Amino acid sequence: MTQPKSFPIGRRTVLKAAAAAGVAQVAAPFVISARAAETVKIGLNDPLTGTYALLGKNEQIGCQLAVEQINKKGGILGRKVELLVEDSTSADTGIAVQKAHKLIDRDKVNFLLGNVNSAMAIALGEVSNQAGILHIVTGGHTDSVTGTDCHWNVFRVCNTTRMETNSVSSTLFKKYGKKFYFITPDYAFGHTLQQGFEAALKANNGTETGASLTPLGSTDFSSYLIKAEASKPDVIIFLTAGQDSVNALKQAVQFGLNKKFGIAGAQQELEVLEGLPPEARIGTWVFEWYWRQPNVPHVKEFVAEIRKVNGGKVPTARHWFGYASTWTCALAANHTKSLNALKMAKFLQNFKLPPEVALMPNNPFYREGDNQLMPTLYVGHAQEKGKDDPEDLFVVDKEVKGVDAALPVAETGCKMKWPA
Amino acid sequence: MVRLDKPAEESAQSEAPALPVPGFRIDKRAADAIVWLLLLTMPFWLNWIGGYTQLGTRVVILALAAMSLNFLLGYTGVLSFGHAAYFGLGGYGVGLTLKYLVPNTLVGMGVGIVAAIVAAAIIGALIVRLRGIYFAMVTIAFGQVFYFIAYRWNNVTGGDDGLSGWHRLPINLGFTQIDILHNKLAFYYVVLFCFAVSVGIMALLLRSPFGRTLLAIRENERRARFLGIPVDRHIWLSWLISCTFCSLAGTLYALLNNFSDPHDLHWEQSGNFVIMAVLGGMRSFWGPLIGAGIFIVLEDYISSRTENWESFIGLFFVLVVLFFPRGVLGVIRRRTTQ
Repeated sequence: MTQPKSFPIGRRTVLKAAAAAGVAQVAAPFVISARAAETVKIGLNDPLTGTYALLGKNEQIGCQLAVEQINKKGGILGRKVELLVEDSTSADTGIAVQKAHKLIDRDKVNFLLGNVNSAMAIALGEVSNQAGILHIVTGGHTDSVTGTDCHWNVFRVCNTTRMETNSVSSTLFKKYGKKFYFITPDYAFGHTLQQGFEAALKANNGTETGASLTPLGSTDFSSYLIKAEASKPDVIIFLTAGQDSVNALKQAVQFGLNKKFGIAGAQQELEVLEGLPPEARIGTWVFEWYWRQPNVPHVKEFVAEIRKVNGGKVPTARHWFGYASTWTCALAANHTKSLNALKMAKFLQNFKLPPEVALMPNNPFYREGDNQLMPTLYVGHAQEKGKDDPEDLFVVDKEVKGVDAALPVAETGCKMKWPA
Repeated sequence: MVRLDKPAEESAQSEAPALPVPGFRIDKRAADAIVWLLLLTMPFWLNWIGGYTQLGTRVVILALAAMSLNFLLGYTGVLSFGHAAYFGLGGYGVGLTLKYLVPNTLVGMGVGIVAAIVAAAIIGALIVRLRGIYFAMVTIAFGQVFYFIAYRWNNVTGGDDGLSGWHRLPINLGFTQIDILHNKLAFYYVVLFCFAVSVGIMALLLRSPFGRTLLAIRENERRARFLGIPVDRHIWLSWLISCTFCSLAGTLYALLNNFSDPHDLHWEQSGNFVIMAVLGGMRSFWGPLIGAGIFIVLEDYISSRTENWESFIGLFFVLVVLFFPRGVLGVIRRRTTQ
């Protein structure tokens, strides 16, 4: 065995050094040397991959439109606004939290927006609360975000699950009757929706003929639907979301259940209805925002603006969530002339969104005590196809005020603790 | 036993004392010193190159999980695909304790680790006779049992929403208090301390006769058995040690996020640990640390640039497995010892 030589610099070493230098060039953006210090940064932490990717991206489009408009109108405190977007993934809350740390600690964002996923919304609320920055939850519906897990700095634009069930239940009693069968996805979101309906049944002397808990990601609903049919309810309540909704409704129509019973549910989204074959666009649902509101000012302009950046498609509730959340940040900062989260949070108590941001009747406002937006809920029914627009898939029968649908603050479980 | 690549000369190479190359021991010590120096100073240079403190904390925590998995995978030759179960048990242990029982971070960590040890001891005793793919499959199955308990038991674990509404609390040592809640640096160094103690214990164990016996089992189980070594008991102990440190990593991870996530129990998470170990090099002690570092930094960096970041990580993993089957550190090792 020969002794190792002392560092001969050969051809290979030179080549390797050259390769390393090349890699360093590619890696260079990792070094952030200069940043425009004068911009106001809004961080969006939303799923761009996985199950919720479509919803997250639609929220992002809404945010971007709002940022453009804000910048056109002079920005925040005269400074330009910048939107930073991080992919939280759809399922891994650890990554979502990490991305929130990244936005807050490294990028020093002034506001945090997100998340579609309820679990992530709760976890991000904890992060933003520790950091003391204003956080607006765009699309996570679980009650506890503005209930037992509420924070002074965390506001929410979308509805609670309880608001959704409360807004639709009286319509269901009138339209179909008081015997319900539930098809419930077996996780927290489905459970809380079912509990909401059960409370309404109890208050109105209704009966529950049965319930099927379906695993998330089910493709075959036939056994649940047969059970539902055998229990002879007045209405079958589908609490499924996303692709599960598409599968469940398709099969219910194949079984002809829509001819025998009412088909209904709580939250429904335009994204889901668009994914259904026309004959399965049935049932009574709640929308959280709808693009066709001829009598509400500014809606037409908003729809036109979104169409330009959304491949010609109309905005969904998700676009509006992103839009309203981003505008809330700008309005709070510009009204208080400050980027201090505490001042802005105090200002937002019972703050009414101006009509060009609200885009709905009844003056939506952030309720004092639980920071929950009290928007209008749209109860109505799905339709096969629109008369003059292929994306007009929903008919609004009734508009319900958020305050009438929401539990009073005292019953939400929210005990707001403000910093001294 | 799962035998991933392992020609005899390669494994001899990776064990320092067996190697007659002069100066190698000093190299190894120098490498150790560099690793510790980098870890100790990480919060300072990490921010400078565009990272942030929590990223470093996350790397150290997941490196501990991957290194504990590697104690079983790389040094005993047993592949577990269910380590996330013990990682998550630690996380839920600390979360549930802080939320419902005692507002004390250390007690919470203790509860999490003890819960994981008990579970690992019982499950280990049931599965220790299995080998190879059967062992891996059963570890997945048991892991998923814990995942579905956390996912379905809404009233206690928060179900799919995860366990929230608690956060880490300052550690009171009697004479002084460490504010890990507000001080990011303090939390990083607490994590690094746990990492150092765990890694130190694992290194000592591997140098002990016990550790040598594990290597013997890895190299040739039948021969070890003929020598009168109680193979099953050794694998069980190795499994238990591995799961214990993995659960410690799990408690730290939950404390970092202030949140216990059912995803932490999912087999995908176990798969990530295996990827980290293989990426860095599972025949080397520091390999999983390098693997975790690469995995997390890549994830953090690419995912801010493109939505298709998962494809890039997958591609990178495929490339490493194809061209550097001994992992990143395995390649560097071989170059330096030739």
